[in-house]
Amino acid sequence: MALLGRLDWYNLARTTNWTPGSVTEDELFPPDMSGSMGIPLSKWESYDEPYKQTYPEYVKVQREKDAGAYSVKAALERSEIYEKADPGWQAVLKLHYGAFPRAEYSASTAEARMARFGKAPGMRNMATMGMLDEMRHAQLQLYFPHELCPKDRQFDWAHKSGDTNHWAIVAARHLFDDMMVTRGASEVALGLTFAFETGFTNMQFLGLAADAAEVGDWSFSNMISSIQTDESRHAQIGGPLVAILLENGKKEEAQRIVDMMIWRAWKLFSAVTGAAMDYFTPVADRKMSFKEFMLEWIVSQFERALLDLGLDKPWYWDQLVADLDHASHAMQMGFWFWRPIMWWNNPAGVTAEDRAWLEEKYPGWSESFGTVWDVITDNLLEGKKERTYPETLPMLCNMCQLPIASVPGPAWKVRDFPLEYKGRSYHFCSEGCQWCFEQEPERYAGHLSLIDRFLAGHIQPPNLEGALNYMSLAPGEIGDDAHNYAWVETIRAARQKAAA
Amino acid sequence: MAAFPLTSNFQGDFVLQLLPVDTENTMDEVAAAAAHHSVGRRVPARPGHTLRVRRQGASELMSRTLKVSESGLKPMECIEVIWE
Repeated sequence: MALLGRLDWYNLARTTNWTPGSVTEDELFPPDMSGSMGIPLSKWESYDEPYKQTYPEYVKVQREKDAGAYSVKAALERSEIYEKADPGWQAVLKLHYGAFPRAEYSASTAEARMARFGKAPGMRNMATMGMLDEMRHAQLQLYFPHELCPKDRQFDWAHKSGDTNHWAIVAARHLFDDMMVTRGASEVALGLTFAFETGFTNMQFLGLAADAAEVGDWSFSNMISSIQTDESRHAQIGGPLVAILLENGKKEEAQRIVDMMIWRAWKLFSAVTGAAMDYFTPVADRKMSFKEFMLEWIVSQFERALLDLGLDKPWYWDQLVADLDHASHAMQMGFWFWRPIMWWNNPAGVTAEDRAWLEEKYPGWSESFGTVWDVITDNLLEGKKERTYPETLPMLCNMCQLPIASVPGPAWKVRDFPLEYKGRSYHFCSEGCQWCFEQEPERYAGHLSLIDRFLAGHIQPPNLEGALNYMSLAPGEIGDDAHNYAWVETIRAARQKAAA
Repeated sequence: MAAFPLTSNFQGDFVLQLLPVDTENTMDEVAAAAAHHSVGRRVPARPGHTLRVRRQGASELMSRTLKVSESGLKPMECIEVIWE
């Protein structure tokens, strides 16, 4: 007997809305959980997902993807890729594995929210598979670094980080809890799948896989590619939702969530991806700068996606583009200077070759961030290593939870964005982060940054030892210079040669 | 005498820092405390110059002998420490 083609039955099979008889529509789909914005059930049925996949197809494809990722890993286990990798690439792996695997479980919760409470049948179908995708991503990204734990205990942070109060994890959790865990299905679709995944991670994972291939880490490259193919499917959940919201007069609500989550995603990416692309990846293997990547893939491509859907450019778009000149450098400098409170060994990334690359990609770098690295380099050359460590904490933003940092040197333009709200002082890194807070102040007002916790006496004793304990950084995990300061000796040799 | 936290924005540095001072400290002492965390670490020293304190965004400098307790500064307020 001939089987019907998928498109002959897909729409009928996934049209699972019905008129509830035993409960009200709001009991079946509580507005807070659905994010239904008062749009009636019938209107949601026009949701037209661009990626139509059935469950049997999904299982077949996913099985093949998993087999591919695990078999490449198994085949390369004895190839000592990790041992032979530059410490800069090792730092990329540690930062990535520490920051993301546990958050994938949060993403699974977010997809489950859409799978259960989304009012559009097509959204529920896509999100059911998205939920399984995110579990797969968590498990892959916990299993792969597990193999590396015996080689380097900093990889323990892949599993451990989610249970700690490490400052970077507090920052990631503040965003992911906001975007994934504590919002209704529509807001999740707009914030996670459209703003975060379509705008950022889908493209970033492509770039990361390419970088991994460039440095010869085929195992990681293959795994990230495997994840990205899922991402490119379930990231499309948000687009058709925007169409429904606009058709039903909810553009303002959609734009607000999209604007908030693009800004929040941008801040996290400026730290994690920015530092990795501009400093961690060995200079010989860098294909493009973070700024070039952002301009090509995020600013131009995502801007087009926004406009095509009938949304506007976010109000802060010009500021975001301007920030591309300095954001990655400021985050990298903070990572390196406060290296004892990282779970990875941070590369400095300022050999002569690095500095030439940075000046080429970011004209003016030498006169701004370069002046700071000059002081640091001179201290190391003169044996004053103690002057390259901090004795206080950087101020953290009450929204993104990242250091409040900007351009140093003669063009110095660092500033605080303070706000008083119900008798408490808040500090922000930017107009964008302050604006996010002001959209829903009661949602964010109760959170304490690491600095707030320090001042409230939560961190005892109130010194580096207390901070390391509070953040669960054990001996053997505490970060240092990734190349064990070998770069300083290349500079010393070059100066001696020049002097001779 | 009481511990008093401020936020230091040191001219030429790249990041704001937590600056623990005392209510009895003068602005010269506040500037010196801020310099400890920036000068010679990330900002080059400028011999022959004096460090002065002002509120973020203000054009006028605070008196060098003004005490924190007399300044009207709020806990964690951001001060700019600049070379004169």
